[in-house]
Amino acid sequence: MKLAVVGKGGSGKTTTSSVIARTLARQGMPVVALDCDSNPNLGISLGVGDEETERLVSMRQALDEGEESHAPTWDTLLSRYGSDGPDGVRLAVVSRIDNPEPG
Amino acid sequence: MRLAFVGKGGAGKSAISGTFARILAREGHKVLAIDSDPLPGLAYSLGLAIDHSPPIPDDAVVERKEGEEGPRWRLNPEVDPFEAVEKWSVEAPDGVRFLQFGKIKGDQNLWRSQIAFRFVINKLPEGRWNVVGDLPGGTRQAFTGWGSWAHTVLIVVEPTAKSLLSGRRLARMADLDPENPKRVMAVASKVREPDDVEMIAKGTGLEVIASVPWDEELAEAERRQLAPIDFAPDAPAVRAVESLVERLSELRVS
Amino acid sequence: MLGSVDFDENEVVVADFEAGVGTLTRLGEEHVDTVVIVVEATPKSLEVGARAAALAAERTVGRVVVVANRIRHNEDLETVKAAFPGLEVFGVPHDPKIIEADRKGIAPIDLDPDAPAVAALIGLASTLYPSSN
Repeated sequence: MKLAVVGKGGSGKTTTSSVIARTLARQGMPVVALDCDSNPNLGISLGVGDEETERLVSMRQALDEGEESHAPTWDTLLSRYGSDGPDGVRLAVVSRIDNPEPG
Repeated sequence: MRLAFVGKGGAGKSAISGTFARILAREGHKVLAIDSDPLPGLAYSLGLAIDHSPPIPDDAVVERKEGEEGPRWRLNPEVDPFEAVEKWSVEAPDGVRFLQFGKIKGDQNLWRSQIAFRFVINKLPEGRWNVVGDLPGGTRQAFTGWGSWAHTVLIVVEPTAKSLLSGRRLARMADLDPENPKRVMAVASKVREPDDVEMIAKGTGLEVIASVPWDEELAEAERRQLAPIDFAPDAPAVRAVESLVERLSELRVS
Repeated sequence: MLGSVDFDENEVVVADFEAGVGTLTRLGEEHVDTVVIVVEATPKSLEVGARAAALAAERTVGRVVVVANRIRHNEDLETVKAAFPGLEVFGVPHDPKIIEADRKGIAPIDLDPDAPAVAALIGLASTLYPSSN
């Protein structure tokens, strides 16, 4: 199942995403959490801590800046550049390059 | 003064920068407020009732001709940035001029208008207006190319771990352009606890130049789409922005 | 983007999307089963939400739920319901525990799973993918 949580910055979508992700994981489902925000901080609400969240974001940024022509496959993204969070939720930060602005 | 307010969404940038622009104008300065957010916000905080400014016309931007060198898009040579501001900006209360690129209405494609907007702002010669504005998103580009008009960047930070994380990121990016070094400071927003300011200073590594308290009246002004300075001129948050204006003058911030 | 990945059928992907106009357009291209639109009872938040709802309506999306967040009075909930006629609106109350969790940088569900807002969101999550009997 693919679920998108959207909303204006500051409205509470990250908190909402995090509780949904953790709850579904606790019910036994394999959950992947994708942070597609240009100000990524889903990790903090998920409970991985701000250091780990920052590490993921920096890693993603470094990847974007260093290897734009070699964007990782999604499997790689999750396994190498993702993080295992509480309740087994896997977290990955999606770069802006994967999310280009149109026009 | 050429001041850009940046920060994670929802931190209070529009309310703070709009109020700032009005206060600065009341002190007798010429102020140009700019908004590059495709969603309305700053207009209301300035006291503009509706979003009635026309988008900058598409022909303000021209495409490179076949065989010509240089970037693909540039400002139409017939467009003078001063005149562009006079023509396409709207007058807000206290004489503040307000310029934004067109707000997205439905599927209307306004990207040429956006490019024109950026050119106009970045080519605007210094001296005539104090410019108070924002920088779009949280990207690197915002600070280098597009943000070259700003001399000073104020990062609006709330006392939350998420906001501090964004604040740190923005602080790192704000100072990336060696040709246009900027002064970067933090404004604490929605402050509730006595040690919030210290937390923000430590968490961002920045000097916190002002502390704007959590203010129910500011939230109410936003709900009613009114300028905080009109709706609640004596509100603690408005007073805090007055202090910010004073402090920046004391520090001779440009 | 989401459509190009080979996720397991059983896998639940929760994607937290920024609210910029570009990303909302992107959302329109995605293959998603459920869209959760989070809004507050403020004009700007409702406007972003309305755009997202319009996009979701244009595409074949399974279910659209609106979360009315930080509800203080019943009026707030009514404001949101009025802005999204015909859509499920789920109210989440203003909750000091969320503020505390944000301030401390810990997961709200870890700070207090019984806090009003957390409990409400847990309730919502349970309806999104009901456990099999």
